[in-house]
Amino acid sequence: MRNTSRAFAWTLCVVVLGLFAMACPKKPKVETHPAVVDTTPPPTVTIPPNNPPVDTKVENKDFVQEKPIVQETLPADIEELNRYVQAHGYIQDAFFGYDESQLSADAQAALTGSANWLKGDGKGYNLLVEGHCDERGTEQYNLALGDKRANIAKEYLATLGVDASRIRTVSYGEERPFDPGHDEAAWAKNRRAHLVLVGK
Amino acid sequence: MRHLFLLFAALPLFAQTQIQTTIDPTRAASVLRIAIPAPEVTGTTFDAINEPLFKPLTRDISMSGIFAIAPLPPNVPITTEVLQRINAQLLLKLSVHTEGEDFVVEARLSDTTGQPQFGKRYRGPAAALTRLAHLLASDLVRTLNGKPGPFQSQIGFASDRDGHWEIWLMDWDGGNQHAITHHGALSILPSWSPDGERMVYTSFARGTSDMYIINRRGGGRIRVATGLNLNTSATFSPVSNDIAFVGSINGNPDIYVIKDDGSNRRRLTNSPTIESTPEWSPSGRQISFTSGRSGTPQIYVMDAEGTNVRRISFDGDWNDDATWSPDGEQIAYTSRVSGRFQIRVANLSTGESRILAGEGSNEQPTWSPDGKWIAFQSNRSGKWQIYRMRIDGTDIEQLTFNGENKDPDWSKKSE
Repeated sequence: MRNTSRAFAWTLCVVVLGLFAMACPKKPKVETHPAVVDTTPPPTVTIPPNNPPVDTKVENKDFVQEKPIVQETLPADIEELNRYVQAHGYIQDAFFGYDESQLSADAQAALTGSANWLKGDGKGYNLLVEGHCDERGTEQYNLALGDKRANIAKEYLATLGVDASRIRTVSYGEERPFDPGHDEAAWAKNRRAHLVLVGK
Repeated sequence: MRHLFLLFAALPLFAQTQIQTTIDPTRAASVLRIAIPAPEVTGTTFDAINEPLFKPLTRDISMSGIFAIAPLPPNVPITTEVLQRINAQLLLKLSVHTEGEDFVVEARLSDTTGQPQFGKRYRGPAAALTRLAHLLASDLVRTLNGKPGPFQSQIGFASDRDGHWEIWLMDWDGGNQHAITHHGALSILPSWSPDGERMVYTSFARGTSDMYIINRRGGGRIRVATGLNLNTSATFSPVSNDIAFVGSINGNPDIYVIKDDGSNRRRLTNSPTIESTPEWSPSGRQISFTSGRSGTPQIYVMDAEGTNVRRISFDGDWNDDATWSPDGEQIAYTSRVSGRFQIRVANLSTGESRILAGEGSNEQPTWSPDGKWIAFQSNRSGKWQIYRMRIDGTDIEQLTFNGENKDPDWSKKSE
């Protein structure tokens, strides 16, 4: 499963680099790729520009044939998995300004990285997006604000090509702060769309 | 716990006509001085009934705003002269005896000449003695001013004292605190049905926020499938089986109404901003709510059909939790003043408002059914706890002490 998704990611790279002619073992699928690329906004082009096409080709071959080196084993336990993907930055939460539900550039970058993983190695996983708020507002309004934050993050992931049917949202308002502190450092951590993998 | 809710019989001692009083009800605005000697007890002891019966009864009476307790000199037979000397206008004589497992409490209220004003016999098991005390106190207030006191009402709230936030109930004085939900998951924002039999609330028991209804004994729980996300701030209509709540489609929270069986969902607001915290006017004809449409959360009122929206809060940069006084003339809400939340009470016809409460953050006001008290939550102690005060902000009393407690909702019915 991961092998094919990894292959798929690499194939995408190939397409983005305009190397349609490159030897690709699964030719019929190439035709569907331009459509996928079309729905992907510009920021998703994260491939180093100086990556030599020849290397790509070679690595791709190696990967497909021998499954070595870059292969990593993801934890099977879902809680461990969530810690793992957050620790490695595969999945990143989006943070918000005070009483804000718009995505900042940082929040967009975090979600873009998350979307790439969810379309790649994390392709099989469903996602829960939790909306959280800091304690400075009122409980009932913050539940609604958290709902808005969670859904804006979900929508952005969907525009980046993550299937929206894989994403569920919930708002916890100010009920479950990540940091129990009462200062701006704590509040900033608590205003977030928290991405949680919830199984396949 | 269940035995607490066993009914106890209340039987008139005298014919109904004798309950009418020679005291002018219009005088009830001024305080009447009442002498209450210790009950005569047979088959039990004063110590056995003092905590569950006599203390809550005398506390209710002293806080009624109608009576002031005239202290009796110790070990002196009660005569007309003694009563006159302590300026008592009324005498409440109590007797308690046992019949099998039951306690029988007889109450006789007379003026200083011995003229009976009120008489009633109450009967119930030991576990019902405190409820009996609140009923008797409420009857006494009604005898004097025609309307019952708030002593039988209850306050619903959320408490995390057992590890998870669950829905709890307590008496108006903070007694008899007990959980009615056991979801083992975040359960918050309870709101009473107008008949005081059910509560609607939000629980995350299924991992998403859903609307539930449960009866006050903790049974008959149902989940109301709204077809929407969020399902928070649910509140019963005072005149029908409609429930107003915050529903969300694709991250756009708006005010909706749905029947308590999950049918006939209607959308009342349609704004891309956040709408939250609906609350019915006592007539059921209007609904207040919070909206961010002006840029900050402010209080608005609309007709129950969603029309005729007007803003009513203008002070403060964050207002929420609006709730109507029982007479529909005032709205209490949470208002941020100098960075802290306070309880603000606004007069709807004049537009004037005043700030109540004080230390810490003070939120989620709720009116007593007689409109004389407001309960609210405050973090002034360092933890969220529920407090109660008179509507002029005096006599603030902390009602909860275990764990953290929030989201108070006072039952709308006095009896």
